[in-house]
Amino acid sequence: MTLKIYADRMSQPSRAVIIFCKMNGIDYEEIKVHISKGQHLTSEFAEINPMKQLPAIADGRFKLFESHAILIYLASAFPGVADHWYPADVSRRSRIHSVLDWHHSNLRRGAATYVFNTTIAPVLGRPLNPQAAAVAEPILSSALSKLESFWLKGNGRFLLGGNQPSIADLSLVCAIMQLEVLDEKERARLLGPHKKIQQWIEITRNATSPHFDEVHKVLMKAKEKLQNQRLKAAKNEEGGSDMKKALPSRL
Amino acid sequence: MKLKVYADRMSQPSRAVIIFCKVNVIDYEEIKVLISKGQHLTSEFAEINPMKRLPAIVDGRFKLFESHAILIYLACAFPGVADHWYPADVAKRSRIHSVLDWHHSNLRRGADTYVSNATIAPVVGRPLNPQAAAEAETLLSSSLSKLESFWLKDAGRFLLGGNQPSIADLSLVCEIMELEVLDEKDRARFLGPHKKVQRWIENTRSATNPHFDEVHEVCRH
Repeated sequence: MTLKIYADRMSQPSRAVIIFCKMNGIDYEEIKVHISKGQHLTSEFAEINPMKQLPAIADGRFKLFESHAILIYLASAFPGVADHWYPADVSRRSRIHSVLDWHHSNLRRGAATYVFNTTIAPVLGRPLNPQAAAVAEPILSSALSKLESFWLKGNGRFLLGGNQPSIADLSLVCAIMQLEVLDEKERARLLGPHKKIQQWIEITRNATSPHFDEVHKVLMKAKEKLQNQRLKAAKNEEGGSDMKKALPSRL
Repeated sequence: MKLKVYADRMSQPSRAVIIFCKVNVIDYEEIKVLISKGQHLTSEFAEINPMKRLPAIVDGRFKLFESHAILIYLACAFPGVADHWYPADVAKRSRIHSVLDWHHSNLRRGADTYVSNATIAPVVGRPLNPQAAAEAETLLSSSLSKLESFWLKDAGRFLLGGNQPSIADLSLVCEIMELEVLDEKDRARFLGPHKKVQRWIENTRSATNPHFDEVHEVCRH
């Protein structure tokens, strides 16, 4: 029975798992669970993952959720996955665990919360929350600084001085990609100062090409839609004074 | 060169690492870094862990932080650690990763934030924050419910239906022990409804005593 992956490509950790499978030639069936339609909240999906989150997998009768646990499982259970994704060496592996653990309360928390509450929430049927965004922003900024100064220090092209990508690179880069939907100026403000991060995103993208771009299409479409909305809103503001002149004739 | 464990026993993940070492007879030197005195903020400690958090370890020249990564490293790198702590079986191991990952944003975040805001903040010199405490309370309650109804649903004395403790039991129980610093009524309000959780705490304590009690003495003052 083929591995089933329950995913929504708007979800950063879902993307990491799908790209990993494509890169490693892992045979799978992608079952789309749309967060924007509340499909993750159904009782059917709760059978797969009672935490109602994505991604989740079912491999035969074995079910699993939490993307890092899934990536490690796939790297360990499927043949032909190159060592660099999840090295057998205990020290190298431990460092990967370390950054993946750090990620939860730092980059993941900062980036996902900030982007959701400034931009994406309406796409998923929820209201924006500037207060939550304000709390998330310093977490995001500090996480990006730590990535630039610590996790990417040394001479490697990838995290932890690696010269080949690991599951940590995939997980964290997919998380940062969520910033693509922000207004250009915002994104430049947050990422602009961090040259190593920008380079590392490109390197990871190239190393996982063409799958990286293909899996990120959904996000890029959302980005385009949001950009158009912003342009429209800006035009409406400019045309506001013309509308005011037109109004009396309609009253 | 002996393993060095940088820890503050007031820190839940520090306790998990120390208890693990004691139970598995791993030879180590405990270097106390007191959060209440800001010792984790010194430039010396930043050399050990630039994130300025506890616990952290140094094994020869190898430095590591994040307690789950540390527990896994110790289980793999030191001989004589029984398989049940971190099973070699891929499926069992993955479930342990799953609960350890879930822990960060759920039980850990709920319990730590709630207790910090409700109680410890005045001791470490930061103000109380009732709104953060209210949000944390919801998260803590829902995490305890999920423990009771899902992580402890199988017939076993430990998480995920296990009959022996794993690093996940140690990590999560040490977190819940933080609730000991709350007043009796508060603690009963959170834990009272959850019989499986209470039994599991006792099971984990029994399985790792006398070390569990010894390491938790700081919570009882």
